[in-house]
Amino acid sequence: MQPAVELNQLSKSFRVRHARGGGVADRVRDLFRRRTETVVAVDRLSFSIAPGERVAFIGPNGAGKSTTLKVLAGILQPDAGDVRVLGLVPSRQRSELAFQIGTVFGQRSQLWYQLPPRDTFELLGRVYEIDRREHRRRIDALSSVFELDTLVDTPVRHLSLGERMRCEIVASLLHSPRMLFLDEPTIGLDVSAKAVIRELLRTESERERVTLLLTSHDTGDMERVCTRVIVIHRGRLLWDGPIAALRRGYLKAKRVTLWSEAEHLELTLPGVRVLSSGAYRTELEVALEITPLGQVVDAALRQAAIRDMAIEDAPLDEVIRALYAHAESRSVPS
Amino acid sequence: MTAAFVAKYAACSRIAAAQARRERGEVYGRVAFFAVILGVFSSLWRAAADAGLPVAADPKALVWYLAATEWILLSVPPIHVDIQEAIRRGDVVYQLGRPMSYVIAELAAGLGLLAVRAPLLGATAFLCAFAFTGWIPPSSALATVVPFGLVAAALITALHLWIGLLAFWLQDVSPVYWVCQKLMFVLGGLMLPLDLYPDFIQRVAAVTPFPSVLAGPASFVLPAPIVTPGELARNLAIWCGVTAFAVWWVFRRAATALTINGG
Amino acid sequence: MTRRSNSLAFARALVTTNLKATVALRGAFVMQVAFMALNNLTFFVFWWALMRHAIVIRGWRLGDVEVLFGIVAVAFGLTVTVAGGVRFLGRFIDEGDLDTLLTQPQSVLVHALGLRSQPSGIGDVLSGLMFIAWSGQVSWSMLPVVAAAIAASALVLLATGIVFFSLAFWLGRVETVARQLWELLITFALYPEPLFGGMLRLALFTVLPAGFVGYLPVRIVRAPSLINVALLATGAAAYLGFAVLVFDRGLRRYASGSRFSTFG
Repeated sequence: MQPAVELNQLSKSFRVRHARGGGVADRVRDLFRRRTETVVAVDRLSFSIAPGERVAFIGPNGAGKSTTLKVLAGILQPDAGDVRVLGLVPSRQRSELAFQIGTVFGQRSQLWYQLPPRDTFELLGRVYEIDRREHRRRIDALSSVFELDTLVDTPVRHLSLGERMRCEIVASLLHSPRMLFLDEPTIGLDVSAKAVIRELLRTESERERVTLLLTSHDTGDMERVCTRVIVIHRGRLLWDGPIAALRRGYLKAKRVTLWSEAEHLELTLPGVRVLSSGAYRTELEVALEITPLGQVVDAALRQAAIRDMAIEDAPLDEVIRALYAHAESRSVPS
Repeated sequence: MTAAFVAKYAACSRIAAAQARRERGEVYGRVAFFAVILGVFSSLWRAAADAGLPVAADPKALVWYLAATEWILLSVPPIHVDIQEAIRRGDVVYQLGRPMSYVIAELAAGLGLLAVRAPLLGATAFLCAFAFTGWIPPSSALATVVPFGLVAAALITALHLWIGLLAFWLQDVSPVYWVCQKLMFVLGGLMLPLDLYPDFIQRVAAVTPFPSVLAGPASFVLPAPIVTPGELARNLAIWCGVTAFAVWWVFRRAATALTINGG
Repeated sequence: MTRRSNSLAFARALVTTNLKATVALRGAFVMQVAFMALNNLTFFVFWWALMRHAIVIRGWRLGDVEVLFGIVAVAFGLTVTVAGGVRFLGRFIDEGDLDTLLTQPQSVLVHALGLRSQPSGIGDVLSGLMFIAWSGQVSWSMLPVVAAAIAASALVLLATGIVFFSLAFWLGRVETVARQLWELLITFALYPEPLFGGMLRLALFTVLPAGFVGYLPVRIVRAPSLINVALLATGAAAYLGFAVLVFDRGLRRYASGSRFSTFG
């Protein structure tokens, strides 16, 4: 079957103009005498995505995620390489592709602020040239799946961020796209809102066979929604494989911070590494498959009462660094 | 007034002036506008004179009159926009916490901006008026226009401040600003000396500050100024007082009924 | 045929949605409409006062100035109401707001123009219509001509706005300068043509087309002639074509990413 996305040696650089001052006159001068630096955003990136897959596209800031997404969506022109989305070339067949893709930009809204989402939905029906009656049915169907109820008729400015995001996703699915691009869809949301969004994305994608490509800083997005992860760093592919493999290889450790009544905690358990200890605060890295969390907490409690505890995933940067180190020692797995 | 008190507000003015220097685009736009409007009007006054306009002054003096009124008006920074934004964003609450009267601070900032714009636009006014008429009014006339003009501009700045404060009640103060501005144009004799307007307009104008801030100072370039320096000084003083009261009153009302817009 | 009729359906839906959004804040809307009308009427008092004394200035009477004001006001009002996004084009370009539009199948320019509307524009239209009515120069039979003149004027106004604000594709933040230029155009358009000398008049029919926004439409209303109508129609089409070209070029540059100074 034809892949949903085919990327072959995609490269994209930007000429960054070192802007002088602020005046328009300065900027006109800049146009003629360029003091530019070329920054490589994406460097010979290759991967392909099968229809129906849900792929997380992660990496630190400036890694090239948004740039890649924009090239795929037809917003940016690539400098080099082959790009095909749903069999079409985005830079040449933008309009045709637009009918088949949907986008959700976490930092931008496509909903009209003063109006209820329904008005935006109706307008999108005209944008995507959908038959009116069919479109109304679709709005109602998606609204019920995403549990929008009265939200559809409430002006967007009265909606919470979580409610707004649900409406944004509905908006992106109205024209039954075969592929959905999401750029930081859960940014700024609280934990429960994130959970709702992730669940909805996963089930909707499964139900309608929509291919998802999702960029995020949040590993939770990756783990709850997607089955595969592509890690990009400095414009280059760092890792491409199933989530399970990444978890096994690099996300097995948790960061545990304990605030106790003892100034120092001595914990010498296998798979437990003390990162810092002092001033009643101890930070540990715990390899869960070696020592379950319960054991760690028990060991700590035997030494002193625990006032507070925080448990987090290893930060993404750590994962990237580990991956990088891994990649340096051998060729990158694909 | 203690030195510290003055220093506080002087600092506000300096920061604002620095900001004005950075936002040059808008000032250059006003310079261009100035040149255009003086050019158009010098042509208009000549045409009007040919058509029988019964005015004591000749077209050249009228161009200088316009240059003066426009100088005063264009020098005034559009602070009502900044104040509206600050109120909308809720910044004002933080300002209230500081040991500075918010209102005086904003005025000081406005005057700082004025201090940068007025000389630049004044030079533009002078050069354009001279270029289009080939004539310069007597220096005694100009020497009277400048100080009165600056005081007038400061008073208009305070008026803009008052308009900005209305943002406590109105989402958008620009409609109020437009109408006030146009009233200023007409009742302040911006383009046409007041004595050419019908009587009833002149009578209405007399109870507004507008003639004192525009027509009054500018008329010193005309052969027959509408007011003596002494009278103008007195009028300006009265209107300064009224404006100060109006600003204080609005702010008092607003501060007590303050709600922060969550946005 | 279906694709074009779909584009029209989209444009119509866009304008409707835009207007709905504008009216959503009832109080602010009414205030903007009313005060803008009042604003224009107050400003016109100057001309009324002036022409009480000097009845005919270079062949122009009060009625002629009223027609000029009326046409420009209605044209401007229509532009900022229906295609109000033009004033924000620079901001859209600079802040990447065109991205979402690029992922959708309709014309990016039309979509961007229809994203905003200024309620004050309706005040301009109302006051403009009042001026035309009061001028006593327009009989009922002339209405189609006047309507066409206003439409052409609005198109030229829109086109120059698109060109000025599209400079953001090449120069980044041009908001202030573009706005000043556009306002300068409108200022020129509001003054009777005979006041301008030769060189200036040339400029006003080329780089700053106040000639096509104000003078030519008024000439057509005062003394309709086929030549003038043809000239205005051609001018409007030419400016619009040029504007679309400029925006298209700019969009290509946008897509190449060379305006970017940050990336992610």
